[in-house]
Amino acid sequence: MAANSRTLDLFCVGLNHETSPLEVRDALVMNDEEVERAIQALRERGGASEALVLSTCNRTEVYARGATIEDPSAFVTALLHEIKGMDLSGKEGRFLYTYREPESVRHLFRVACGLDSQILGEPQITGQVKDALSLAARSGGSGPVIDRLLDAALRAAKRARTETGIGRGPVSSAYAAVSLATKVLGGLGDKRVLLIGAGEMAALAAAHFRDAGVAQFMVANRSRERADAFAVAYCARVVSLEALPVVLPGADIVVSATSAPDAVVREDMVRNAMKIRKNRSILFFDLAVPRDVEASVARLPNVFLNDLDALGGIVAQSLAHRRGEIPKVEAIVEEELSRFLRWHRSLAVVPTVTAFRNQVETIARQELERHKGKFRAEDHAALDALVHGIVQKMLHRPTTKLTRADEKAPEGIARIDAIRDLFGIEEEDSDADRNPR
Amino acid sequence: MQPLLPLLTTLLPVLYGLSAAGYARVYIAEPGVFEGTRGQSGGPLLLRAAVFVHILYLAARGLMEGHLPLASVYDFLSATGFSLAVVYLYVEMRVRIRTTGIFVVPLVFMLQILASAYGVASPAIKPPIKPIWFELHTLAAVLGYSAFVVSAIYGILFLILYRDIKANRVSLFYSRMPPLETLGRMNASAAGAGLVLLAMAIGMGMGWARLAGVAFLSDPKTWLTIVAWVILAFAVLAYHRLGWRGPRAVYASLAGFTTLVLSRFAVDLFFHSFHTFR
Repeated sequence: MAANSRTLDLFCVGLNHETSPLEVRDALVMNDEEVERAIQALRERGGASEALVLSTCNRTEVYARGATIEDPSAFVTALLHEIKGMDLSGKEGRFLYTYREPESVRHLFRVACGLDSQILGEPQITGQVKDALSLAARSGGSGPVIDRLLDAALRAAKRARTETGIGRGPVSSAYAAVSLATKVLGGLGDKRVLLIGAGEMAALAAAHFRDAGVAQFMVANRSRERADAFAVAYCARVVSLEALPVVLPGADIVVSATSAPDAVVREDMVRNAMKIRKNRSILFFDLAVPRDVEASVARLPNVFLNDLDALGGIVAQSLAHRRGEIPKVEAIVEEELSRFLRWHRSLAVVPTVTAFRNQVETIARQELERHKGKFRAEDHAALDALVHGIVQKMLHRPTTKLTRADEKAPEGIARIDAIRDLFGIEEEDSDADRNPR
Repeated sequence: MQPLLPLLTTLLPVLYGLSAAGYARVYIAEPGVFEGTRGQSGGPLLLRAAVFVHILYLAARGLMEGHLPLASVYDFLSATGFSLAVVYLYVEMRVRIRTTGIFVVPLVFMLQILASAYGVASPAIKPPIKPIWFELHTLAAVLGYSAFVVSAIYGILFLILYRDIKANRVSLFYSRMPPLETLGRMNASAAGAGLVLLAMAIGMGMGWARLAGVAFLSDPKTWLTIVAWVILAFAVLAYHRLGWRGPRAVYASLAGFTTLVLSRFAVDLFFHSFHTFR
């Protein structure tokens, strides 16, 4: 679990889809320039040594380290009022949450892993966290600790995605349709999609299929004008509803979303189409209520019929699976949190200096023992003195520089971190030194 | 070379066993079919190592005995396991999906366990005449059987996945399988390859029997194999020419495979045939 991390001094103040309504979140989305202003204010007026702002359509969060602010929530409230013109000081203040370390670090890791997202496990947040880091770097907000913090958050996100099923499976009906079609037909690049109806549902499905590589669309709609507009948007061929029996054999995927009161696709039409298709698989996605495709079509071999309930069922299974993966992701978050806090704790000057000196002296002693046999016994004392003298002289300057390093200032941390990196000093080395058994 | 053989005989089932365990891990831990095949490469690497050791083993046996090491039923099992592994690796590299290995590699492991456990003690038979015909006949039969086994495995996987998709069931199995059409193609392609190889085996077997003066036409195994071949030929023809797709095509090829397997047991149980490894 989390270790003591008093010197980290990192707070997070923000709001998300769980604590605030959409109109508030919308009003607080910051563009790059506004983020830069916020970071400047945190550094100059709040005394923060490092700062980061994560602003997306579902959250706006401010992270600051080493700030001299007594009430972070009040400071951020004033900042948001100044930059976005939104006053959260009244009862709207309940929208904001405040975390201090280690909860602030844990929260960022959970956000990066998609645990705090509206759609559990959605992948876009990882890219948004990366963008926030580069923006902080451009605005002078990043530093060694924030850099390392974001690295750790992104590592946790990557692990969550590869080691667990948090990002697996479709989470929308349209994506479920694409996923199912891919599972049956394989690559969709050479497949043909027939859209019956040209409304919003059909357009959404068409957009997903186009993203999945489908290039050939046909559209059949009662209103010719709408079909023409659709055809322009998707380079589709317009066919009449009466021609459905003729064009059906040429389609591999049929998406139907009309408001017709009766079935538009009948079993006899599909049966004939399958004969012409030589029984090659065909998928029907019936997104209409009442349904456009006769239910008996599902009984035909190599015909896969999915209505909204079926697609909804797939989405529900997928989400349930993702929810089942939460404990695994939480475990990753805790591991990465521990690792990060251990790293941070190890940055204290004294343990680093001691570990650094110990390591160099140990190497010198080992080498001395290894080669002692090559010298006469009466020379050993002089040899010891010689090696000891060289080591002490070589260690003097780096030791002095390190001891004078301000462990809270970015340059000091960078120097300590560089020594640890160059000499391969692990966190455990300094822990052991600090807590000798 | 002689002292090397016991070592290779022991090493082979160990390597196949470890690769089977590796493929089980791939099946459980693989992030997802559409997310590539990152990590979990232990099983595939071990299988490649096992195939390499198997090649060494076959080469050593061939050099020592002066003919293909296909002289006993255990040699046949080992060679079938080997060719199954090779066919599977070929398929894996073609479709770039490792998650079906769990259904093939354990079978290879079992075949090799049997071959290694009992094969050392079995005496090698000396073919009566023209060993080259006999060897080529056996080799083609081994490869043909392996192709039919692969075809049957992919056929069964197809049927399970087909049922899952029809029922809108998104199971672990669903997420691990390649697309349904790919499974159907693999089933038909492997059956087609097996058909050609079995035809070669039957032809060369007849040639060898004729030269050896054996009455092959009165042999029940020959007839039952020909019956199985005809069923399989119909299944392959129906897929390519009659537009049979989906479960119907798979059931047809499975019927041929079942006839082929049953013919072996039927011959051993109910008939007397010259056509067995003794």
